[in-house]
Amino acid sequence: MSLFKKNRKITIQPSPPKAAENNNDNVTSSNSLKTSLGENLQHIKMTLGKSSDIVIREINIGYEGKIRVGIIYTAGLSNSENLQDFIMETLMIEIKQTDIDSKLTADSPILTLLKDYAITVGEIKDVDNFEQLFTSLLSGDVIVLIEGLSRGLIIGNKHWVSRAVTEPTAQTVIRGPREGFSENLSVNTALVRRIIKDENLWMISKEVGRRTKTNVAIMYINGVAEQNIVDEVYKRIDRIDIDGILESANIEEFIQDSQFTLFPTVYNTERPDTVAAGLLEGRIAILVDGTPFVLLVPALFIQFFQSSEDYYQRAIMASLIRILRFGAFGISILVPALYIALITFHHEIIPPALLISLAAQREGVPFPAFVEAIIMEVTFEILREAGLRMPRAIGSAMSIVGAFVIGTAAVEAGIISASMVIVVSITAISSFVSPTYDVAIAGRILRFIFMGLAASFGSYGILIGLIALVLHLCSLSSFSVPYMSPMAPFNAAGQKDSIIRFPIWRLLTRPPYISKNSTRQGPTKVNFKSNTHSKRSSNE
Amino acid sequence: MNRIILQVIGILFICILLAGCWDKRELNELAIATGISIDKRDDKFHVAAQVVIPTELSMKGGTGSSPVTLYEASGESINEAIRKLTKVSPRFIYLGHLRVVVISEDLAKEGIGATVDFLSRGWELRSDFYLIVSKESDAKEILNVQTALEKIPANELFNILHTSEAHNASTVAVTFFKMKTNLEREGKQGVLTGVHILGDPSMGSSKGNVETIVPEAKIQFEELAVFKGDKLVGWLNEKESRGYNGVTNQVKNSIGLITCPDGGNISVGIKKFDSKMKSKKISNNPGIELKVDIVANLGEVNCDIDLTKLANVKMLEKEFGKMVKEDIQKTIEVVQQKYRTDIFGFGATISKQTPEEWKKLKENWDEVFVELPVNIKINTQISHFGSVLNPVVSKTSE
Repeated sequence: MSLFKKNRKITIQPSPPKAAENNNDNVTSSNSLKTSLGENLQHIKMTLGKSSDIVIREINIGYEGKIRVGIIYTAGLSNSENLQDFIMETLMIEIKQTDIDSKLTADSPILTLLKDYAITVGEIKDVDNFEQLFTSLLSGDVIVLIEGLSRGLIIGNKHWVSRAVTEPTAQTVIRGPREGFSENLSVNTALVRRIIKDENLWMISKEVGRRTKTNVAIMYINGVAEQNIVDEVYKRIDRIDIDGILESANIEEFIQDSQFTLFPTVYNTERPDTVAAGLLEGRIAILVDGTPFVLLVPALFIQFFQSSEDYYQRAIMASLIRILRFGAFGISILVPALYIALITFHHEIIPPALLISLAAQREGVPFPAFVEAIIMEVTFEILREAGLRMPRAIGSAMSIVGAFVIGTAAVEAGIISASMVIVVSITAISSFVSPTYDVAIAGRILRFIFMGLAASFGSYGILIGLIALVLHLCSLSSFSVPYMSPMAPFNAAGQKDSIIRFPIWRLLTRPPYISKNSTRQGPTKVNFKSNTHSKRSSNE
Repeated sequence: MNRIILQVIGILFICILLAGCWDKRELNELAIATGISIDKRDDKFHVAAQVVIPTELSMKGGTGSSPVTLYEASGESINEAIRKLTKVSPRFIYLGHLRVVVISEDLAKEGIGATVDFLSRGWELRSDFYLIVSKESDAKEILNVQTALEKIPANELFNILHTSEAHNASTVAVTFFKMKTNLEREGKQGVLTGVHILGDPSMGSSKGNVETIVPEAKIQFEELAVFKGDKLVGWLNEKESRGYNGVTNQVKNSIGLITCPDGGNISVGIKKFDSKMKSKKISNNPGIELKVDIVANLGEVNCDIDLTKLANVKMLEKEFGKMVKEDIQKTIEVVQQKYRTDIFGFGATISKQTPEEWKKLKENWDEVFVELPVNIKINTQISHFGSVLNPVVSKTSE
């Protein structure tokens, strides 16, 4: 695997961004504004390719209407009501009631004047170059340029239609908050801050993507999250040099530790309570504008089998359900393989009555068990994918066809044995048990690998596969935290909240390896490790 | 560099595909044999395998023909005969799920060494199937009888043995593994269950055999085949079989009959039967002390007795003990005098408990065994009387 890692470094480790070189298609972007309004407007028009959603309005203001002003905004991204009420109206009507010309002095040029006296909007900035101008313009701000000045104003007026805060669809719970993240970054950060009202909840913002200029926010609790992991996260995000970030998955792919693994080493969720819980445990959240999926790092293997609901249920129930999830994951990757191994190699360990019943079902089936299993599994994967992609209205029709084709017709026709349908069904159902989608996908691929091993080597192959799987999992890490912790390396205290969950009042410490500041409950003195850290956090 | 790695991976992958699957056998390529019979005629082994026809056994119901079929072949050795079965069977005969192996009496008299060797050499075979000896008939005929309750005759054989071993003291179910250890071990000889056909064997094969309430031909387990080494030397009848089980502590659950002092009898169900063998000097000669503890329940009272009196119960217990002792004594006597083979494992007990003694006796154990004194101590207890105390119909009150 080390060879692959070397390759990865060569291919994806990007050179530090060199704005001037990389943006050579935007030749003029670093140019500063000209004094001539007409020239400036012409430049904006040409650069944006005369796009029809860029609105340019030229007006004359002042008592005598001597000052020519250009107002530029993007239709749909700017709040047109505010534009009307607080900018246009002010500039065109209200300003005429005061003798603005007489107040114009060298000390207070028109720009300062407008800023200080006229425009009644909270967010307002100066601009003197086209790069900043374009970024703001295309984010929805209103640009005001004045004839004769090589400076302009950026008036914050972003407003676009966004989805309301709704219930998350990918991670549903029976008990627990129904809020889910939306596509709006500021709404998302607000959702987290609404849960954690701590002054130590810090946030670093960053723009990623040369063209999309996507806002990315790194949130963590200062003093709980490890500073070096925060730095590492920042460094890795900083290294990304790509034209566009469309979803947090793009970031995830860039920052994950190991590229060649089926297992996710970055957790994602659309639940603010899950993010808050992660932050409280010392994890770092990465929020990306334009997607409801928030990333959490470091992410451990067991985390993907834990649901936020585990903490809202009685401890015993939650523990049993977690065990069930692990069991179901095992079923989903191993059962078809075991079936193939038993039926093609190890007939002697099947109880006689079962063997005869299986043999009776297989009588007349034209394919070997492995081919039969592959046919069924692939059919099921096709059905699943089709069910996801197709318009919802057709969905029910397809499920009838699918169930009928797989379930009944194939068996009746004698192409597939009934026991194989049972095996595939139990596998399919089990794969939906895991609370996160990512690990279920890993299971799907592993299932085929194990089936291949079982068909070639029987249970010996399955065992070899399992050993390789465990070795692989133990070799993984997420932001320098061992992926399989607290199982490997073993940590007794960590077991309280891994496969089983102790009652909340017994969870005195944070998960090990993620945060050195481990005490969650009770006096801080109890934990010897926290001493060094509390000193540091008090300095900060 | 990359290319080389990819090539290596590619070659390894091909290796998986090429090397794998060589011993793969699909279920529908197998003929699952549930029982085999081994006969020996004219110096040739005749092997018959009872093979299951899965479709006839499926839940959907088959065509109504026989659920099993019998393939036969003969050869110089058992292995050769089994291989020859493929000449008549369309599929490979799979022995992994054997339930019973039937050996004919004639072959058993000649010696079962080759049979046991063959069965223990095959890696595919389990060792938990039962070995039985067909009495007075060919072994093949035993597998040639249709049975009603279990559709697979071999399963019926297996289950009859299994059940009656647990509920009846006169049957001994001997698995292949047990027989093999007895053959290999010094100081203990083996026994095997005998089986024979009741009724007309020629009618057994047809499906019609199970279409009547009382089948024309039935299979019954009876008597124990006594072995000396790998050769059959004789048979123990039902009573002696019970005695054998008593000595070797193989009674799990059984009934016993007590004769009442005034005629009639009482049947008791044995709840707990525990016999311990001990190597002990008896009047300065090597000997065996047998301690038997029995707890029994009253099952059926068919005589006039007042069970409310403790003395009567004590008397019954004593009587019962006496009877068990008699059974055991008789069995030991018969085995010592008639068959002269140590099927009880007295030698094994002596060698285990007093090894230095065994060293002296080992050489001429066969002669010593015949004369070996056995001391039997029986302790019986009647613990439960059931739902009624005294006999329901008392004869004296009439």
